[in-house]
Amino acid sequence: MLLSVRVGMLRGAVHKLRTRLLSTKGGVTDGLADAETIFALSSGHGRCGVAVVRVSGPASAAALRGMAGITRGLPPPRTALLHSIRDPQSKEVLDRGLVLWFPAPNSFTGEDSVEFHIHGGPAVITSVLQALGSVPGMRPAEAGEFTRRAFQAGKLGLTEVEGLGDLIHAETEAQRRQALRQMSGELGRLYQDWSHRLKRCLAHVEAFIDFSEDELIEDGVLNQVDRSVCDLQAEIKRHLMDERRGERLRSGVQVVIAGATNAGKSSLLNTLCQRPAAIVSPIAGTTRDVVETALDIGGFPVLLSDTAGVRDSTDLVEREGVRRARERMQQADLTLVVVDCAQLPCDAQRAADFLQEHLRSVLATEEQPDTVFSADKCLLVLNKTDLLPEDGRLTLERELRRVPGLPPICLVSCHTSEGLQGFLTELHGRVKTLCGNPLTGDPTLTQARHRAHLQQCTAALAQYHRYRDGDLALAAEGLRLALTSLGRITGRVGAEEILDIIFKDFCIGK
Amino acid sequence: MLTKRLHRLQGFLLLVSRRASNVAKQQYDVIVVGGGHAGTEAAAAAARVGAETLLVTQKIHTIGALSCNPSLGGVGKGQLVKELDALDGLCGRAGDWAGIHFSILNRRKGPAVWGPRAQLDRQRYREFIQSELLGTHRLTVLEGSVEELLVTEPNPEKPGCHRVTGIRLGGSRSISASSVVLTTGTFLSGSLFVGQTTSPGGRIGDAPSSAGLSHTLREALGLRTGRLRTGTPPRIVKDSVDFSQAELHPPDERPSPFSFLNTHTRCKPEEQLPCHLTLTTPGVERVVRESLHLNCHIQQDTKGPRYCPSIESRVLRFPGRKHQVWLEPEGVTSDLLYPQGLSMTMPPDAQLRLIREIPALHRAEIHTPGYGVQYDFVCPTQLDPSLQVKNTQGLFLAGQINGTTGYEEAAAQGLWAGVSAARSALAMPPVTLSRTESYIGVLIDDLISRGVTEPYRMFTSRAEFRTALRPDNADLRLTLKGFEELGCVSSQRYYETVRVRDSLRDALEALQSIVLSAANWRKKMPDILMSENKFTSLSGQDVLQYNTVSFEMLASAFPDTLSPYMEFSQRLKIEAVYRPHCDLQRKEIERIQKEENMALPQDIDYFSLPVSLSQEVREILDRVRPSTLGAATRLQGITPAAIVHLLNYVRHTGQKETRTHSKYDKNREELHTENASLVKL
Repeated sequence: MLLSVRVGMLRGAVHKLRTRLLSTKGGVTDGLADAETIFALSSGHGRCGVAVVRVSGPASAAALRGMAGITRGLPPPRTALLHSIRDPQSKEVLDRGLVLWFPAPNSFTGEDSVEFHIHGGPAVITSVLQALGSVPGMRPAEAGEFTRRAFQAGKLGLTEVEGLGDLIHAETEAQRRQALRQMSGELGRLYQDWSHRLKRCLAHVEAFIDFSEDELIEDGVLNQVDRSVCDLQAEIKRHLMDERRGERLRSGVQVVIAGATNAGKSSLLNTLCQRPAAIVSPIAGTTRDVVETALDIGGFPVLLSDTAGVRDSTDLVEREGVRRARERMQQADLTLVVVDCAQLPCDAQRAADFLQEHLRSVLATEEQPDTVFSADKCLLVLNKTDLLPEDGRLTLERELRRVPGLPPICLVSCHTSEGLQGFLTELHGRVKTLCGNPLTGDPTLTQARHRAHLQQCTAALAQYHRYRDGDLALAAEGLRLALTSLGRITGRVGAEEILDIIFKDFCIGK
Repeated sequence: MLTKRLHRLQGFLLLVSRRASNVAKQQYDVIVVGGGHAGTEAAAAAARVGAETLLVTQKIHTIGALSCNPSLGGVGKGQLVKELDALDGLCGRAGDWAGIHFSILNRRKGPAVWGPRAQLDRQRYREFIQSELLGTHRLTVLEGSVEELLVTEPNPEKPGCHRVTGIRLGGSRSISASSVVLTTGTFLSGSLFVGQTTSPGGRIGDAPSSAGLSHTLREALGLRTGRLRTGTPPRIVKDSVDFSQAELHPPDERPSPFSFLNTHTRCKPEEQLPCHLTLTTPGVERVVRESLHLNCHIQQDTKGPRYCPSIESRVLRFPGRKHQVWLEPEGVTSDLLYPQGLSMTMPPDAQLRLIREIPALHRAEIHTPGYGVQYDFVCPTQLDPSLQVKNTQGLFLAGQINGTTGYEEAAAQGLWAGVSAARSALAMPPVTLSRTESYIGVLIDDLISRGVTEPYRMFTSRAEFRTALRPDNADLRLTLKGFEELGCVSSQRYYETVRVRDSLRDALEALQSIVLSAANWRKKMPDILMSENKFTSLSGQDVLQYNTVSFEMLASAFPDTLSPYMEFSQRLKIEAVYRPHCDLQRKEIERIQKEENMALPQDIDYFSLPVSLSQEVREILDRVRPSTLGAATRLQGITPAAIVHLLNYVRHTGQKETRTHSKYDKNREELHTENASLVKL
């Protein structure tokens, strides 16, 4: 399954590539080839003074006029001009920055292109990307699509072409990892579930089309499909609305503070953000929901979440808090497991065993009770060192560092700020590695892409209802389109898979 | 058309004897082995393309026999019949001649998935096919058994390890040919099963084919084969059936012909025969279980079709259910019925016990018991898109030998193999048929790029561009190409299709020229129930998309503009509804077509190719040897990076297009000019 998901995604990416290559074979772009205009944040994410948003494709000029509020003509080619950047619909000013116009063929991609050099804040970038997305004929670029278009336009030399194969490999690998990251969470389960249900709907409609004249397939099959499609439509619509509020994929490195109750997790959060963001009390179970704070650690965006202490509780609210804590840990790039070091056994070996066991109980999930925590995904924070004698602390640190299989360990006291500097250095290093990894995708773009596919999916489901009674072939076409859209997120579904469901669910025997 | 046929049929027996004894030649362009659905279409198509063709079959009088069900077409299969007809194949016209019960399946589900179908009179079908073949110019029919394929060194200028040079018949007589098409159906190492008895053969009553042929394919040519099974039901004596216990299923009141050339079928509407439907009972399941230990065929784990299973596998896989049994007439004068859905291989006495558990068959008599067949097929991934064996120049395979099931699937491959074999023999440039333009293309592409694990049958859901590949427009999709590019279509059919195409275009233009505001539409045609909230202007074509609107309604509202096109009213309605959807698909279709035009040389050495490909990818490419870049992308395990490298390689070695310019293209251009002047007239 995993493999086919990947291959499906790869195909999507490569198809585009080939279309373009073939269509520009004679040096002339034929109008029917990729008429889509793409845009993306071209500068990396993380803190930066200036961000560059690039647009390429036939609608570039329209985007430039709309965004820069130019009513007549176009700016001189390849000249930086200072302009207000506006939302083309609401005319609201989003930022003030440089615009550059690169008419075809003298651009990186060989197509009409535009660059917007805007201020580097996340709010500005997001609003500009959203505004571009609202221009007709524009869509967010797939990973590496600019380079591909350049390749197709013959803008890259032979050696660069050779390198492109490897680049695409890296990109698709990144897409796969990114997809896996999202797919392993709740969102992934949701999309998979939709895809599965939709596949079933399509299989049942196809069975009705291909076999009902000769076989016992009752009309009831279609009524069931009608209901399922309605449910799906409602769920996807609700999801699209929810996503705006807070369920969105978060930008930045996600760091989660987890551990047993009263280990000092909230204190760590407050220490890190230097303000009382979370309520701290000596009562176990004070934090019941996830408390989030956006932080800047050494120039890198971090979303820090404090979670409820993990313990078995009869309190319904607290149990929900623990569930959310576990869910958040699964999505985290980095988990800080906080341990009250006064709870540790004195003997170093027994302390190590205790920590192993503790990590397992904190990080375990219901689905994977025997989860093996990966050392590069977590950091052990032994808090309350002020409660230990000086030499005991040093021995503990020395002994524990020798134990193989434990994640890196920091000893801190949130109370006295002792060891905090070392901890911050360690954290900074980890965040830097995570951000600097070129394979970490840009979540804003991923999210925009998901939205676009989900919207196409609901539109296609509407087509099912429109033709359900008049023309089942066109209704099925609607389901196919919907599945294709969803497949862009979850992986492609082939005709054979549909046939498999048909033969599993129906006795077909003409 | 049909009356002419009657005269020809009268001299039919005479022709058989004359043709059969008339074989003097030692050399042909194309030899077709086998006289089933694949073989007959192949032979006729090769002759139409211009090849001197020989059809060799064990018995001339079984040419065109319907070995299993007496019916043609259906959902998915009907599309194939329409496409075969559009390419001037035989089976559509044969169906119109032999049909005794016509119906369009899926009538309420949309024109893209309509399934034209007919019950056939076996006798009439065979007569038609035989008469058609015997009257085909450049085609000779010979009765005989092929003992061996003659194979020699390959032509070094073309890819492949062997080259076929002809066949050896029984009695050591050899006949040479540039191309040989094998359509041996279930006869390749075929064995028949009834109960616990097994005997060699491919069909009851026919001699088994020679072991020499299997030997050549497997040993001399090194082809990989697999084994499949199928079966056929017992034939029931009609008078012994209690029809009062079955549900009557009448045919369509007005039979729709398969062929684009026919306006009516031979069978008059009122002369059509009905079908009957009955259901299995728990008793059927009991008999199956009781006789299981006596049933060799069902105990073997050879792959059988999931969609044409025996009654044994149906009740074993879905126990406790009622299964449908269709009682189909075998012909106008036949005393037999064909019980569709009761294919079985248990001993004959158990077969009788089983059918009598079915209400309408409680006192039925069996005329011939059902039986199973197991046979070898050649893994079709070893074929190129022209259905030629990749490693053997001039050897083409079509039909069940490629792992398919069904008359229509066999006929489709036969026609294509015949066209390809003839073009290869006559040194004409190769041609392609894409999955974006036809079900035949889907069938061939699925076979050669995915292979088969069970008998392959056509479904509409296999065609990703189903909305464009409709039964109604098969002529527009294929007849023009069939004449201009493939050379297998007569000029008579071609000019008729040109007329149809031009009229449809004019009619659509006329529809678009009618533009009214929504208010005026409501005034002019209150019946169409246009929403009061609509204020925009709409063309006649827009309005024709409404469920409530027919072309006839529009024509009576605008008689001057539209009445000349009344003969196309149904096609215009379908066009209006589907055109927007097809336009959406066009981009995707063009992408696939371009990929398919990027040929990968067949003799490429993937292991020494100087580009960076992983060993794994090289092995896959070497094993499958995709013929185009499009086929390569559909392979499991091929990475996008590999595709980029391949693309780059193909681009730099200049091997881009499958087709090369030649005198045939020039001819085609002349035709286009002719065509253009025709349009002006």
